[in-house]
Amino acid sequence: MAVTTDPQSAAESPPAVEVRGLVKRYGAVEALRGIDLTVQRGELFALLGPNGAGKTTLFSILATLRTPTAGTARVFGHDVVSDRNAVRRTMGIVFQEPAIERRLSGRDNLLLMGLFYGLPMATARRRATELLESLGLAEAGARPAEKLSGGQRRKLELARALVTDPAILFLDEATLGLDVDARRVFWSHVRSLADAGRTVFFTTHYMEEAEVAGRIALIDTGSIVALDSPRALKARLGGGVVRLQTADDAEARRWLGQHGFVCEGQGKEIMLIHADPAAIVPELLRNLPVRVERVEVHAPSLEDVFLGLTGRGLAGNEPIAVEHSGPPGMGMR
Amino acid sequence: MIRGIYAIVVLDLKRAWLDRARLAAGLAQPLLYLFVLGAGIGGSSRLGGGEYRRYIFPGVLGLSLLFSATFAAIVIVFDRQIGFLKAVLVAPIPRAAIAFGKITSGAIQAFAQGVVILPFAPLAGVPLSPLSLLTLLGAMLLSSFVFSAMGVAVAARFTSTTVFPVISNALLLPMFFLSGALYPLQNAPHWMQVATRFDPVAYGVDLMRGAVLGRYFFQPGLSVAVLVLLVAALGWVSVRVFMRGEDDSSLGATQFRWRR
Repeated sequence: MAVTTDPQSAAESPPAVEVRGLVKRYGAVEALRGIDLTVQRGELFALLGPNGAGKTTLFSILATLRTPTAGTARVFGHDVVSDRNAVRRTMGIVFQEPAIERRLSGRDNLLLMGLFYGLPMATARRRATELLESLGLAEAGARPAEKLSGGQRRKLELARALVTDPAILFLDEATLGLDVDARRVFWSHVRSLADAGRTVFFTTHYMEEAEVAGRIALIDTGSIVALDSPRALKARLGGGVVRLQTADDAEARRWLGQHGFVCEGQGKEIMLIHADPAAIVPELLRNLPVRVERVEVHAPSLEDVFLGLTGRGLAGNEPIAVEHSGPPGMGMR
Repeated sequence: MIRGIYAIVVLDLKRAWLDRARLAAGLAQPLLYLFVLGAGIGGSSRLGGGEYRRYIFPGVLGLSLLFSATFAAIVIVFDRQIGFLKAVLVAPIPRAAIAFGKITSGAIQAFAQGVVILPFAPLAGVPLSPLSLLTLLGAMLLSSFVFSAMGVAVAARFTSTTVFPVISNALLLPMFFLSGALYPLQNAPHWMQVATRFDPVAYGVDLMRGAVLGRYFFQPGLSVAVLVLLVAALGWVSVRVFMRGEDDSSLGATQFRWRR
C-alpha cells in the first residue's frame, strides 16, 4: 500500500523549541509569567530584553539546568524535565561565563566534550580539527586555553558547543565582555552556521546583535511583549522616530501632549513616533514653547520598539517614570 | 553511565597530570613522618627507631592516601568556580556518573600517591614479599576509594575552597590520630579503643599494617566489610548530593541556591 500522507511525519518533526505557559517562581518573585514560544527548525531566533527580564531563566530551563514551576518546554519534541538527556543530546550551549578548562589546550577541551557526549574518538578528533580550522583557531587550539585572547576563547566556547554537531545551538549572552571587533567576528560565524541550516537560539541585550535574527522575541519582566521579524517589529512603530532635547523637557512634553503627540518612554530625551517624522519637525520647531536644543530623525531601531512597548530602554538601568501611570497602552484602566 | 564515569575520570586525570609535580611534593610529608618523627619518637620508645619506623610505615601510607584523596575532591569546588562543570552538567550523562567518576578519579590519584611511597619501604625496614605487596596494594586501593568517597561527599556541598583547612583540621586530623597510624592501639586508653572503631581510617590503616607486619587489631574480614559498606554508603550520599543539583544547576551546593 502506498503511503500518501504519513501521519507520523508531523509527530516526527516537532518544532525546535516549543514553550507553553512557562512559569518560573523563585520564592515570591515570578521570573517568568507564562511564556509561549515556538521556534521552527532552521530558525535564527533571538530573545532580546534588558538584564533581569528573565532571559537567562528561560534559557536555563531550556538548557535543562532549572525546572519550571508550571508549563512545559520541549526541544525537538523532548520534554526538558522528563526527558532531560534526550534534550541534552540535541543541544550545543555557549554560556555567559566561560565553560572551558583553562589549563588544557583548546583541542583537549573539544576532545573531552566529545567524550562526554559519547562520540567515537576518531569522530571527535576530526570534528575538533575541522572546527578549530573553520574558526581560525587551528594554531591557537594547541595552546592552553588560558593563553588565548578573549575573542579566541569565546570562539573556542563556540567550538566546544559544536563538537557534537548539535541540532540546535544555544547562546546565552555569548559575547558579553567582548570588544566590537571580536563580537562582529563571533556573529559572522554564528550567521554562517544559521545559513548552513542549523537552528540557533540566542539571548542578548544588545539590539544590534538581535538584528541578525530571523525573528526576535522581546522579553520584559518575565513576559514576551512582542515576537516578530526585526523588520516587522520596526514597521509596527510605523514611519520613524523623532528625538528632541529641549531647554525644558517637562514643559515640552506637556505641550506635545496637548497637541496630540504621544511621547514614548521617560528617558533623557523626548521620543515621538510618527508616520512622517521629517514632516512634523518644522512644525515642532516653530510652535514648541521651549527652545529646542537638538533634533534627530531616524528610522526606528529595536531599541525604539522596546521603548515603545515597555516604556523602558534595553539597558534596563534607566530610571522608570515616577509620575507616569505606566507604559503606553497599559494605562487604560 | 560507564561512559560518563570514564569521561569524568579522563578529564580529572588529564588535569592532575598537569600537576604531576604534586606527586613528588606529596612525598615530603610522609617521609618527614617516617624518618624524622619516626626517628625521634622511635628513639625514645621501647620499640626503638627501626621497629617504630616499621610500625608507622602503613600509618604514613594511610595519611598520604587520606590527604591526597581529600585534596582531589577539593577540585570539585574549583570546578564550580571556573564553570567547566556547567558544560559537563548539560552533557547527556547521569548525575550519578559524575559522582562515581569523581570518586574514582580521586581514588586513582590517592592510590598513585601511595604507590610513590612504596619504594621507600626497604629504607624504612619494611620487608615486602610479593604476597604482602599484593595484599598491601589491595588494602591501599580499597582505602583510597573510601577516603575519596568521603572527600566527594563532603566537598560536593561546598562552594568555597577556603573551608578546606578547616575541614582538614576538624575531620582529617582526628581521624588520623585515632586510627592508630602512629602508635599501637593495644596500649591506648580505653576510650580511644572505643572511638577508633568509629574511625574509617583505622580500618584502612589496620589492613595495610596487617599486610606488611602480619598483625591485625581488627579482624581483617571485618575491616574489609566495614570499608566496602562505607564506600557504598558514601557513594550513595555523593550521588544524592549531585542529584539534588539537578533542579537548580548548583550541583547541590547550598550556597548557590537562588535567593532574593
